[in-house]
Amino acid sequence: MNTQFKKGVLELCVLSLLKKRDCYGYEISEYLSGHIDIADGTVYPILRKLKSDGLLTTYLEEESGGPPRKYYSLTETGRETYEKDRNEYLNFARTVETLLEDDKNDKE
Amino acid sequence: MTKNEYLAELLNGLKSNDIADAEDIVGEYEQHFAFKMADGFSEEEISAKLGDPAALAAQFERSADAGNFYGKKFMTVFGLVFSDIFAAVIFIMLFAWEAIMAAFALASATVAVCLFGGLNIYMLLPPIPYWCGAVFGLSFASLAVLTAIGCVYFAVFVRQLTRSYGRFRSNALSSAYGRAVLPSLAVYPKLPAKINRRIRLAALIALTVFAVSFVLGIIISMLSSGALGFWHEWGWFGYAK
Repeated sequence: MNTQFKKGVLELCVLSLLKKRDCYGYEISEYLSGHIDIADGTVYPILRKLKSDGLLTTYLEEESGGPPRKYYSLTETGRETYEKDRNEYLNFARTVETLLEDDKNDKE
Repeated sequence: MTKNEYLAELLNGLKSNDIADAEDIVGEYEQHFAFKMADGFSEEEISAKLGDPAALAAQFERSADAGNFYGKKFMTVFGLVFSDIFAAVIFIMLFAWEAIMAAFALASATVAVCLFGGLNIYMLLPPIPYWCGAVFGLSFASLAVLTAIGCVYFAVFVRQLTRSYGRFRSNALSSAYGRAVLPSLAVYPKLPAKINRRIRLAALIALTVFAVSFVLGIIISMLSSGALGFWHEWGWFGYAK
């Protein structure tokens, strides 16, 4: 699949996870690689891009018996962008699905 | 590839692509290794699953606001220098106050011991009958306890204030450098409720004992000297009888 396209979809998946709760990098990486076949390391550039776009903020949380963990959290802009992109993507995916289903019906 | 080889190659890739905060990014991968290794994966397995470090380094984008970034850094450091000068003055005053309170507590305790023991070193204490002195001694002892409590609490407060200021400084620098910040610390010490209650109770008892014994001391001094101005009677403050 087109990497640029895949990257956009992955961004959307990260935003959807962070909409539910704040996570640290490793959690997000595990979540994504558990569902989608990507290299584990791909998540971190995505997180960094989303942060520099202002969709995410980070904060550290002190952990007992370990270095502080860096948590990612959705900003207000991030929330709005997610809702907008989510609807756009779902509409697009639905259209694509209908088109592809049509193709299958033609064959039968 | 071992963890160290992997991280070194990643850092190299990031640096040659001119990515800001390369160390911060590598730190995130280092944590990834730590989590995976805790789950029992080998360094080689983790490296393989992470993907080629050079390819990953290429996926990071250069910070768009790189120009603005240096201005912000400069302003933060500049501002912190001023706030440090201001804070230094405040902290010197706080430490001085701590020293004054400690000296006062020590002096009160010494006077109390002298009055109880009937000691009058170098005749520094004015002449006073023993039992009147002993009652005043009790009030000085409770005053010493009260100030000592104040001293300890104030020391805890200054310590917390110092930590809080330190956290504020490091957070200001982190945010100027685009790094994640730690939660800020409270200015006041958060002591356990039980200890708080005990400190309050001890201070209250010391204050009450001080007030009662001081008034009592004055009353019995008046009675034993037979005059309202007992200090005249006993020739204090240079009044020759």
